[in-house]
Amino acid sequence: MSNVITAANWKFHWRLTESAGIMIYLAEYRGRRVLWEASLPYVTVDHQRDVLEVVSEGTETRGPWWVPLGARTLAGNVRVQPFRGGVELSADFTAGPYHYLQMWRFHDDGRLCPWLTIHGTGLHDQHTYHPHWRFDFDLDGAGHDALESFSDGHWQRVEEEGWFPHTGDADESGFVWRQIDFGTGAAVNLRPHTWDDAELFAVRYHDGEWAPFSPRSTTGAAPFPAAYVGREPLDDHDVALWYVAHVHFDQSFPYTAGPWIKLEGFGK
Amino acid sequence: MAPKPAPKAAASKKPAKAAPKKAPAKAAPKKAASKKSAAPPPPPDVVASDPSLFAPLTPGESADAVRTLMEDRRITGMAKVGRYRVVATEPLVVKPPHWMHGHRLARVVVYDYAADRCVDACVDLDAGVVAHLDISKAQPMLSREEEAIATSVATLDERVREKLALGDAPQVTMHYWGKDASDPAYARRSAAVVFGRPGGHPSLVAVVDLLDNQVTAVVPAGSW
Repeated sequence: MSNVITAANWKFHWRLTESAGIMIYLAEYRGRRVLWEASLPYVTVDHQRDVLEVVSEGTETRGPWWVPLGARTLAGNVRVQPFRGGVELSADFTAGPYHYLQMWRFHDDGRLCPWLTIHGTGLHDQHTYHPHWRFDFDLDGAGHDALESFSDGHWQRVEEEGWFPHTGDADESGFVWRQIDFGTGAAVNLRPHTWDDAELFAVRYHDGEWAPFSPRSTTGAAPFPAAYVGREPLDDHDVALWYVAHVHFDQSFPYTAGPWIKLEGFGK
Repeated sequence: MAPKPAPKAAASKKPAKAAPKKAPAKAAPKKAASKKSAAPPPPPDVVASDPSLFAPLTPGESADAVRTLMEDRRITGMAKVGRYRVVATEPLVVKPPHWMHGHRLARVVVYDYAADRCVDACVDLDAGVVAHLDISKAQPMLSREEEAIATSVATLDERVREKLALGDAPQVTMHYWGKDASDPAYARRSAAVVFGRPGGHPSLVAVVDLLDNQVTAVVPAGSW
């Protein structure tokens, strides 16, 4: 199966990574570059106590854990399927009681859906999933981009790296964050899932700050991607975005997390 | 219609920013050839990137990358002691105008048990050199070998065996770390092996310290 897909006004490449699921790279829409690469670097899971014990052994609070989504957890094959108005890539990953369906859906009207359906029972009912997506959008080139966040009723420029949780504010179309290219005015709009409890980390792109093979940075330090966040300016630079969802397990599972992404200014 | 950027940071900068993006990457070199005094060609842009650089490493490229790293003087101690695990080798692509743009690169991540540290290297396969080396206390994901070792250690542990029910078997091995210093797994490389009946609910979790290859906690799944 070719790893180059040209369909529904998109042209993109994909590959199965060792730990970050299906990676998309060098994606173009209507012949214009949109994305350098995007992936799902990790899905961490943490637990809250399900059984209360008067005498408990060990620690009171457990840390998180994770298992790579990649060749070792792939169940079946990566699938490429057309659908009405687009094309999608999907793959199942299984790790014990955790089951994931990763999807990349490309719509011919410029929408992109990087989604993750979470199945499985987990260890017990009291647990929360934290899927982390990393997007390196290069709108018509790498630099000259800016990030904006919708708050207090209007779009506001984000001047430096930071953490931007979804507070409920959104524009009339539901978009909360957008990356804009100054040169062409093209934009990528991100709309979080209502129930994702989503947050966005925006960092300046640096060679060397590649998506790490673990969320775990040095002991006692903030995990990735928070460990990458400093005070560097974003305005007019190459920006990398991390979208993180927080999904508590409940009876309505399976649940599909991930943002809607809509391109704008890429022609009719 | 394209959105209008929010008028906050630098509205006055906008006209200047547009100019460099319009420069056609292909046209410039032709002009330079015919006219020696012409301005230098614009730096290459990501739009002209080579997709083949993203392709998975061949087995030979992976072997080449690990060999090159092990011969690097900066990690002689690790290679000599030989208590390390190669966690991953994957292709890596840097953007122009970085000097390594266009080179076939491999990222090699190794966990050094002797020094309890992570070695994260970028190997330039075209030049046969380690182009970038980062040594830190970060905890990379578990290698497949570490997963297998953790599973074996947990399965053979007496405390685990005592608590397993008939039919329980290892379901999955997770990369685990403690939330605070009261948990030994907070500062030590650890795995959590989940046991249960195949296809059934998990019944038990065993935490394995991978530095000492011993079980440090056995917890009923419902109490995790």
